[in-house]
Amino acid sequence: MKSLLKKGFNALDSLFSKVFTPAWNPMYQLGALSFFYFWIVAITGVYLFIFFETSITGAHASMEYISVEQWYLGGIMRSFHRYASAAMGVCVTLHLVREYAMDRYSGVRWFSWVSGIPLLWLLFASSIGGYWLVWDIQAQYIALLTAQWFDWLPIMVDPMASNFLNEAALSDRFFSLLVFLHIGIPLSLLLGMFIHIKRITGARTNPAKGLAAGTLLAMLVLSLWQPAMSQAPANLDMTITEVGLDWIFLNPYTLIGSWGPGQTWALLVGLSSFLTIIPWLPSKREKQTPVAVVDPENCNGCGWCLADCPYEAVTMKVHDYKKGHQQSVVDPDLCISCGICAGACPSSSPFRHVDELTTGISIPGFHIKELLSLTENKLHGLSTDKPRIMVYGCDHGSVLDDMASTNIATISMPCTALVPPAFIDYVLRKDLADGVMISGCCEGDCHYRLGNEWMNQRFSKERMPILRTRVPRDKVRLRWLGVQGTKQLGREVAEFQAHLEEEQLDFVELSNE
Amino acid sequence: MNKLVRYSAQAVFYALFFVPLAYVSHQPNYRYMEDDIAVLKVAVRHAGEIIGECKSIVGESHGMRPSSMVQAVEVCPRERSPLELELILDGETLYRAQVAPSGLHNDGISSMYQRFELPAGPHHLQIRMNDDIKVDGFNWQFEQDINLQPAQVMVASFKEGFRIQ
Ligand code: HEM
Repeated sequence: MKSLLKKGFNALDSLFSKVFTPAWNPMYQLGALSFFYFWIVAITGVYLFIFFETSITGAHASMEYISVEQWYLGGIMRSFHRYASAAMGVCVTLHLVREYAMDRYSGVRWFSWVSGIPLLWLLFASSIGGYWLVWDIQAQYIALLTAQWFDWLPIMVDPMASNFLNEAALSDRFFSLLVFLHIGIPLSLLLGMFIHIKRITGARTNPAKGLAAGTLLAMLVLSLWQPAMSQAPANLDMTITEVGLDWIFLNPYTLIGSWGPGQTWALLVGLSSFLTIIPWLPSKREKQTPVAVVDPENCNGCGWCLADCPYEAVTMKVHDYKKGHQQSVVDPDLCISCGICAGACPSSSPFRHVDELTTGISIPGFHIKELLSLTENKLHGLSTDKPRIMVYGCDHGSVLDDMASTNIATISMPCTALVPPAFIDYVLRKDLADGVMISGCCEGDCHYRLGNEWMNQRFSKERMPILRTRVPRDKVRLRWLGVQGTKQLGREVAEFQAHLEEEQLDFVELSNE
Repeated sequence: MNKLVRYSAQAVFYALFFVPLAYVSHQPNYRYMEDDIAVLKVAVRHAGEIIGECKSIVGESHGMRPSSMVQAVEVCPRERSPLELELILDGETLYRAQVAPSGLHNDGISSMYQRFELPAGPHHLQIRMNDDIKVDGFNWQFEQDINLQPAQVMVASFKEGFRIQ
């Protein structure tokens, strides 16, 4: 099922990248979009709170006032409040399914995964609390079923339902409690959201500006066209027969009614517990290779690996023996074994005059000296009848298996940002190849979050270690096409080869003249 | 893709996302109950009678002290009777239960709530309760003909006797 989901997401990713561009692709920023919707809900909520009346008779009437009399501002705020909550519900669900489908929930990521689950409860509770405040017939339905649900628990001494027996039993105090909860629960949600991203370096909490603008515009149009309204006011002296429901957040309520409160508890608590243990369930996914290791002899404490680690696994300490220097330290509980740190280390240069290439930090599963020997061995065997190309790729992006030929060498590794820019310089200067192609995950959707972004920045000299100016840029290509772009990468490699061949011919002609 | 085509396609995707979202945020309607059904809610919050009598302990443990210092000490049990409740509608028992007092020492209030969905129309309702295990049978009784309107909520509660609202 997971591979089917993954295929589905890959297809959607490609479609959205075409329509929205990779930078605006909403599939790559579902977590950031969830944050964005949260802020919309929070800001509009403050506005609604100013006009909301905390009383049995005032609640519904004040919401009517906001929607009808003040449709041009309050009404729009209310619609934004409702639709952003719903959109957050959808985005969070998609985010969960996507992280699962893309195998981004186990190992070091267990923390983000597990801390995400309480957020689901808090998000649902926040939304349900909001609908309750309106005190229309949907709120009445919520009140009755919530009471039925909680009264099932043996901890309830006084049945909650006795607060909603009839109109006479209802008290204004209950609305004060509801308002308190509708502020407190979203605040806990926000706190939970920050804990959720705590272990992630520079977590993406803001969507791309273009996507944010498009979303706001779409919500404005929707709010004018279909403003959020209340249903008929609640009346506890009458039962509810038919009621309009928010199916995104209230679908568990239909279970309480039809299935029973105990069964609903069992299902929801069971489902949450099952979700919680998913990262530790046996699965076919590859085991994580050993974590990064620091070699103090080759570490001068520059901090580039710290800056590039996507999971905050690297910190610095005073060097073991080099006076006045610092030294990197890897926290094994946080390291995901991507190898991006090795690509960042200035000691990972094959130009160094050492018998055996060593470096300051590297992952044992794919050491930098292994990358060098693989590169040299594969390239030495290539035929020169056509331009030779070195294709570096990653295990999560475009598949390189069928791409190798007599003139093309391929090497796949955990993340292409493991390749130090000096390697590309080395390959071309030593004339081991005529061109270098760097491939990997889709732009904006690196399996290790930041690999392709760091690589782009190293190439454009915005990030250390840079790809030196002397490296001819027309002999190097970066193509982030993902698994779904495997065929396209094959075509682009062929096209790159043709381009290099043309250049070689031009060069020969020029020299002859 | 040129910019205009791309923005138009984006507009289509925004619509594909938000229009169904707006719809499912309040539709389709959910049928919770049929139209010709009424609801009877029974809610009782009542402390049963105390079980046992107060006991005077004068002269037992204070036997050694001078009689002028001895005060009459009464020890009263705290445990309360559970409530025996029965609800009979049109001669048929709908509900029968024993509601235990709350509190670690069974000395608190007994609290119960039940909700019944009944066909609208005339019914004969009887509610009986015993709140004192020293008494045989039901020491609180209530009986009335009621006529439930469709979707009506009728509440039977207890305060020095049953009453319906
Ligand atoms: C209020 C709800 C949520 C919000 C706002 C949220 C937001 C985010 C954000 C901003 C990131 C960082 C993305 C990045 O920069 O790479 C993230 C990562 C993650 N989230 Fe959530 N999330 C939420 C709920 C959930 C839930 C319910 C789950 C699953 C149970 C989940 C699982 C994960 C995982 C596994 C990661 C780590 C991804 C990685 O390391 O590559 N999240 N989330």
